[in-house]
Amino acid sequence: MKTTLLKTVVFSTIFLFFACGESTDVVESGTYQGTIEEVEADKTEIYVETDDDKTLELYFTETTELTRNGSVVEFSTLEEGMRVEVDVEKEGKRLNPLAVRVLE
Amino acid sequence: MQEIPEFWRTEVFHPLSVHFPIALLVVAFLFKVVALRFSREVWELGGTILLIAGVITLWIAIFTGDIADGVVSRKICDPTILKDHENLAWTTAWIFSGGLLLDLLRQLKYPVFRNIFTRLLMILLLAIGTGTLGYTGHLGATLVYQQAAGVYVPSGNCAEFE
Repeated sequence: MKTTLLKTVVFSTIFLFFACGESTDVVESGTYQGTIEEVEADKTEIYVETDDDKTLELYFTETTELTRNGSVVEFSTLEEGMRVEVDVEKEGKRLNPLAVRVLE
Repeated sequence: MQEIPEFWRTEVFHPLSVHFPIALLVVAFLFKVVALRFSREVWELGGTILLIAGVITLWIAIFTGDIADGVVSRKICDPTILKDHENLAWTTAWIFSGGLLLDLLRQLKYPVFRNIFTRLLMILLLAIGTGTLGYTGHLGATLVYQQAAGVYVPSGNCAEFE
């Protein structure tokens, strides 16, 4: 019974670990296309799932340029499921979004 | 010349709040373990009170951590550590909340939960939670001491303090 109990707790813990959060990836500086997975408006942060299945966590800065059809738009324009193209700069393991272009 | 920032910054509330759940939950776990051997009510009831206080302050720490995240993630050099810290903190919070729920169900004398299986499961959850709590704290410490997360770094000549 103790073994079953221990297994239950261990597997539940592992499940909780993965259920509670998502892992993110670090990529080289460059341009990536993908879909917005999540928008955290209060932090001006987005998660982008790239076409090669990487998850980028991007915190907008004062210099991040957000555009749609060539025009600058507000952060509130962004929604989950939108296709975007992002220019990121890697500093250490931090990804700075230089530009985000809405593709639709 | 750079200026010394205000102390009460958004990111400061997290380090101010995290030490309460760390202390309360570790001691709660120890009380519950001692209560297995010694039947005095102080260990059982004391452990429950500490657990309630610990879980409440743990969720407060999660809240303040989430606020700090928005500031700190833009400055540190390896936000992946912060992500691990955040994920593990959530896991820890749910584990201890589950442990508290089991304990309260036992304390409220629901017959179905008044058995050794529930008690051992609760203590196992607290044991695992204490482990993940420790590692969460370790990750938080590396963020502060290796990446200066939330920390003001004075200028080389300390001119702003003159």
